Amino acid sequence: MAHTLEASSNAGGANHWVRALGRRLIEIPPAYFVLAAVLIAIALLNPNLMKPQVLLTFIRQSAPLGVAVLGQLMVMRARSIDLSIGGVFIITNYLLTSGLLGGQPVAVLVLAPLVVGLVVGLVNGALIALVRASAVIVTLGVSIILTGIVLFMSSGRPPGRVPDELRAIANARIDVVPVPVIIWVVAAVIVAVLLKTLIFGRYLTAIGSNPQAARFSGLPLPRIVVTTHVLSGLLAALGGVMFTAALGVGSVKFGPEIMMNSIAATILGGVTFGSGRGGVAGPFVGVVAFALLFALMTVFGIQEPGKLIVQGTVIAVAAIIYGMRTR
Amino acid sequence: MAAPLIELLDISRSFGSTRAVDDVSLTVQSGSVHAVTGENGAGKSTLMKILAGVIRPDAGTIRLEGCEVHFSSPLGALGHGISTVFQEFTLIPNLTVAESIFLGREPMRRWGGIDYPKLRSGAAAALARLESAIDPDGMVRNLTVAEQQIVEIAKGLSADARVFIFDEPTAALNSADVEKLTRLIRDLKARGKAVLYISHRLEEIFALCDTVTVMKDGRHVATRPTAELNEHDLVAMMVGRELSSFFPPRAGTVGEPILTADDLRVTAAAPSVRLKLYRGEILGLAGLEGQGQRGIARALAGIEPAEAGRIEKTDRDQKRQALPVDAGIGRTLASGIGFVPEDRKGEGLFLDLAIRDNIALGVETGRPFWTLAPNTTAVIGSMMQSMNIRARNADAIVGSLSGGNQQKVLIGRWLSSGVDVLIIEEPTRGVDVGAKAEVYKLLRAFSDAGGAVLVLSRETPELIGLCDRLLVVHGGAIVAEMAADGATEHDILHSAIGSRQAA
Repeated sequence: MAHTLEASSNAGGANHWVRALGRRLIEIPPAYFVLAAVLIAIALLNPNLMKPQVLLTFIRQSAPLGVAVLGQLMVMRARSIDLSIGGVFIITNYLLTSGLLGGQPVAVLVLAPLVVGLVVGLVNGALIALVRASAVIVTLGVSIILTGIVLFMSSGRPPGRVPDELRAIANARIDVVPVPVIIWVVAAVIVAVLLKTLIFGRYLTAIGSNPQAARFSGLPLPRIVVTTHVLSGLLAALGGVMFTAALGVGSVKFGPEIMMNSIAATILGGVTFGSGRGGVAGPFVGVVAFALLFALMTVFGIQEPGKLIVQGTVIAVAAIIYGMRTR
Repeated sequence: MAAPLIELLDISRSFGSTRAVDDVSLTVQSGSVHAVTGENGAGKSTLMKILAGVIRPDAGTIRLEGCEVHFSSPLGALGHGISTVFQEFTLIPNLTVAESIFLGREPMRRWGGIDYPKLRSGAAAALARLESAIDPDGMVRNLTVAEQQIVEIAKGLSADARVFIFDEPTAALNSADVEKLTRLIRDLKARGKAVLYISHRLEEIFALCDTVTVMKDGRHVATRPTAELNEHDLVAMMVGRELSSFFPPRAGTVGEPILTADDLRVTAAAPSVRLKLYRGEILGLAGLEGQGQRGIARALAGIEPAEAGRIEKTDRDQKRQALPVDAGIGRTLASGIGFVPEDRKGEGLFLDLAIRDNIALGVETGRPFWTLAPNTTAVIGSMMQSMNIRARNADAIVGSLSGGNQQKVLIGRWLSSGVDVLIIEEPTRGVDVGAKAEVYKLLRAFSDAGGAVLVLSRETPELIGLCDRLLVVHGGAIVAEMAADGATEHDILHSAIGSRQAA
């Protein structure tokens, strides 16, 4: 009987107005508020950092994550999830730093990881959509396998280095804008335009809103899910190339963090499970907000433990807001 | 004469700027069943929530046997002897049945603990009075909807309530449970209780109630003994205008077969079914509930693949196309068959999307992923106008619409897609009286324009009024065929059951 009692609270005119405003605010992805708060904090605490050149340098660090998030947001809108992004980053890092592709032109260096990403996406999608296995388990399992392969192949060898051509691209700028940021923005615009104008985008919206109704309307659900996973695999591989190029050396440490951040930024950007809503702009802003938040903490000398606490808090708050929106 | 058991005097209640209940008065005598009816949004549920202590009125008084009373909560109302079975159940899933019955008024031991033996025996006694076999120690979450209702009634009985309010109690019940509930309500009446019965199902009102109060737009329209009214009068009062004809005129002539099924077996064990649907007709699948009508319809729509059979669809240029039983929805849809499920919210609509998105999908479905989505603004605009969908604009969220408008949006999806066969389950479930007639008109316009409709409905009068031809289904087989014009519920029941005796 508890919830019937709530109805007895007085619904006066002013109250009504406040609630309508509250509803409107809750519609805005939380990422925008986080970004605004971080920008205000930077402006107040260290105005020297409020220059495009500086901010763009911070943002460059998150461009690889931003590209991967473009795939994650499509997967999540199709009510699936991709936890293999970390694994794809790791195997991409291995391909580029182990010397396997030594002496190959840049095109091959980029294409080889994309092929791997495509295969990973196909496997994920096929297991989830056709075998109907749990998306969390499948993609997490695939990620662990990829990490295992890399650890096995690289055991006993010192970490390699990224070919210089790739490093040069990662560090290049056009005017003040770093090239990785340009790649990210271009990719985001392409994804946004395609989702807005193509049939695929409409299908994705429908399946996110109500999969059963989508099926009854004749939409090919399995193919939509497989397609989002393939796209996510490709974008994760591209993100992995950008990440490795910026990092410069071989490493397997960053996988879980990239994966968690991709989900957090997507949720923060207003893409939620079980709703047809959510665009590309929200998660984009989510990644920018994350980048600036970490930069801010670095500038103030907050170490890794502090960053983890803040990062966890932001993810938890995003989850809470997500809960409020779906109610 | 003694004061009436309950008097509601000049009750008003607003939510924001809408007056949900506007100066309504109502008296209820003990030992009677009083129906409160009206279209969706007429204010009947709000009025009952006021009486049940859920909502406080802005103005007006409530008198119980002549004495003015104020309720601050449902428990307070129960303390005054008013018990409510709400439309949405308010039982807590992880309590036992006995705990639920005594929730908030648990018998206490001297030292402050709950007296469980007394609680259990009290619950058992209340359930026994209802001749119910529900286990007092069972968990609420394991109960069916009908059993939950009985627990709510038992709660009222154990509190010695004198007034029982039922808010659309049969909405979620099957026919056997409806019958049981009807008996329970008659029994309450015989014990001298007063029963308030909220419903917009006309048959129930006439079968069960002594008096009926009609509300419209928050106002009281009329209170009459049901014996003085017929269905037509009552509908006219609810809608506020004369409905010249509830059902549109039937088809004059029908064309060639548009959809045929031969030797269709829904499951391996099911009997084989053969049916023909003709262009220009509305065909109904009638019969007792759960006799396999749904399986046949869903097999034809490609929703659930049948075991075996031949399905053939003829398109507008007379081309015949065989549809394998496992063709799937995509292919049946491409051949021109649209499906409107009974569970509109779960299986049909995208509730958090706009009208625009919901209708446009009819045009978009079946197209390749990497093609441009067509511009559907014009189609949607004309569809909203021709179907009289009442909403601010095409960007209104479908979840915010009334049942009737939601149904129109769903039908609109298939009209815009250009299908010429519509398979529709329960076309007017949750649709109020005024919008029902509009839905019927839409379906008739669709068949008149060269389409064909296959209808399933639990409401036999609806099938008789709407359809041209009826197939009676029993045990998964088609046991009789009749013209709908002149058919009676008795005919249909007779052919369903008669055939079973013959078999």
